[in-house]
This record gives sequence, structure tokens and C-alpha cells, in this order.
Amino acid sequence: MPELEFNEEDVLTRASKGDRDAFGLLYERYIDRIFNYVYYRTGNLHDAEDLTARVFQRAMNHIQNYTDRGVPFSAWLYRIAHNLVANWHRDRSRRQEIPINDVPVLPSKGDHPERNLVRSQEQDSLLRLIRRLPGERQNLLILKFVENMSNAEIGAIMGRSEGAVKSLYHRTLLALRDQLGDQSINLDNE
Amino acid sequence: MWKSKTRLSDDQINALEAHLAGTLKPVTPPNEVVQRLRERIRFPQPDEIVSRLRDWERMFFVFGGVMSGMLVLITVARALYYLVGRKHM
Repeated sequence: MPELEFNEEDVLTRASKGDRDAFGLLYERYIDRIFNYVYYRTGNLHDAEDLTARVFQRAMNHIQNYTDRGVPFSAWLYRIAHNLVANWHRDRSRRQEIPINDVPVLPSKGDHPERNLVRSQEQDSLLRLIRRLPGERQNLLILKFVENMSNAEIGAIMGRSEGAVKSLYHRTLLALRDQLGDQSINLDNE
Repeated sequence: MWKSKTRLSDDQINALEAHLAGTLKPVTPPNEVVQRLRERIRFPQPDEIVSRLRDWERMFFVFGGVMSGMLVLITVARALYYLVGRKHM
């Protein structure tokens, strides 16, 4: 979906006064991004849908509490998503469900649909490794690669400085490299 | 290749980033999912309704508002009755 053109500040003001149409515009702008984030964090299409709905419901119910103190609205939304995903993981671990390691294949943007149906074995292995990382490292990678965010933007969402994000990213790459050493994924030939 | 435990060479970083970029690609949520979500956010969830009913502070203000409104209506009605009654006398 093409990016909707509107003055976000104005729309936010209207939405915080209970204007559902204004909130609808925000929904259209952010639905894909929030869905992507939740989808990669849960690895489950059904839960991704449910949690994405709850993110927007919670945002709609509390939008009057959002005040722009240097934190963009998107960061506020991602924080809601982050909290709900954290609760979801906590509940699942309590119920001791069988973990879902594989993220189901959905068509990627800009790719031919048929190409996406077959995700390479290498990508599956890497995805499994990513999903074994601590939550904050998964967040970082998703925000960086799926959402294409800068370290500063990621810092605003994670409540960390840009330097701290950079450092965490470096440690995450180190951890991945060490784990990839035991896998068939070859980095030397890149 | 993995000589240092705490350092990554530029080649390693580039290779890792290429793998990550190839794996963590933005996906498009299915249209039916977007549509269902759109419908879901129009109405509050049942638990939301329950939590609203448990909001005693809000209930108190609603009850107070209704009682005040009724009092105003009764006062106006009594005033009208009094004025109309005087005309007929």
C-alpha cells in the first residue's frame, strides 16, 4: 500500500479527541509495519493477527495519553506492540506450549510470489537462530532489517541511546557468527 | 575464519548483514487479515466492555450526571406547572 499523505500531527490531535476516521488513517499507515514486527516476533500468522489487532485497540483506547515528547507516534506504537509480544511470550512459556520455531512463509514486498513460497534452507536455519536470541536482540534485528530503521530510531523505541543500540547490534552479530559456526551457513564465500 | 572471539571483520559484517537482509524481509499481510483487523478495531473487545463496567469512577460520574439531569428536568417542569397554574387562577 502506498504511503498515505497527511499531516500526522493534525491527525493525531483529531484521533486523540475520539475521531475514529483520523485513527483509521493512522491504522492504514502503520498496519503493515506493526504486523511485520509482531509476525516476526511470534512466528505465527494467527497470533500475529490477534496481537496486531490488540496493539491498535490499545492505541485507540489510550491515544489521549500519547504526547509527543520527542518520541514519535510510531515508537509509541512499537512499544505497545513490544509489551504485548512480551506478555504473549510470558503466557506461552507458562502454558509450556511447544515452541514454534519456523516463521510461516508470507510474500515479501517487491518479490515474485512464487519465489517466496520456497524459502531457502539457509534462510530457515538463520531464522531459527534469530528466534533463539534474547527478545531485545530479535527486536533490534527486526527493526533494523524488516523495518529499515536507523540506530537512533531503534533507540527511541527500545529506550536506549544510539550508542547502546550500536553496541547491542555488534554483540548480536558476534553471537550469530558464533552460532553460525555450528551450522551449514557459510559466511566465507559471501 | 573465526579467529577473534570479540571482533568481527568487515567481510564478516557484510556477509552477516547480507544473510540477515535476505532472511528478514518485510512481508505483506494478507488482504483478508487487514480487512478483519479493520473490522475488529471498530468495536471494543468484550473484555474492554467488562473493564469499562468495572470502572467505578466513571460509573459514579455517569450516575451523578443522570441524577443531576433529572433534577434539572423536574425543577423546570415544576416551574412550568407553577406558571401555567397561576395563569389559570
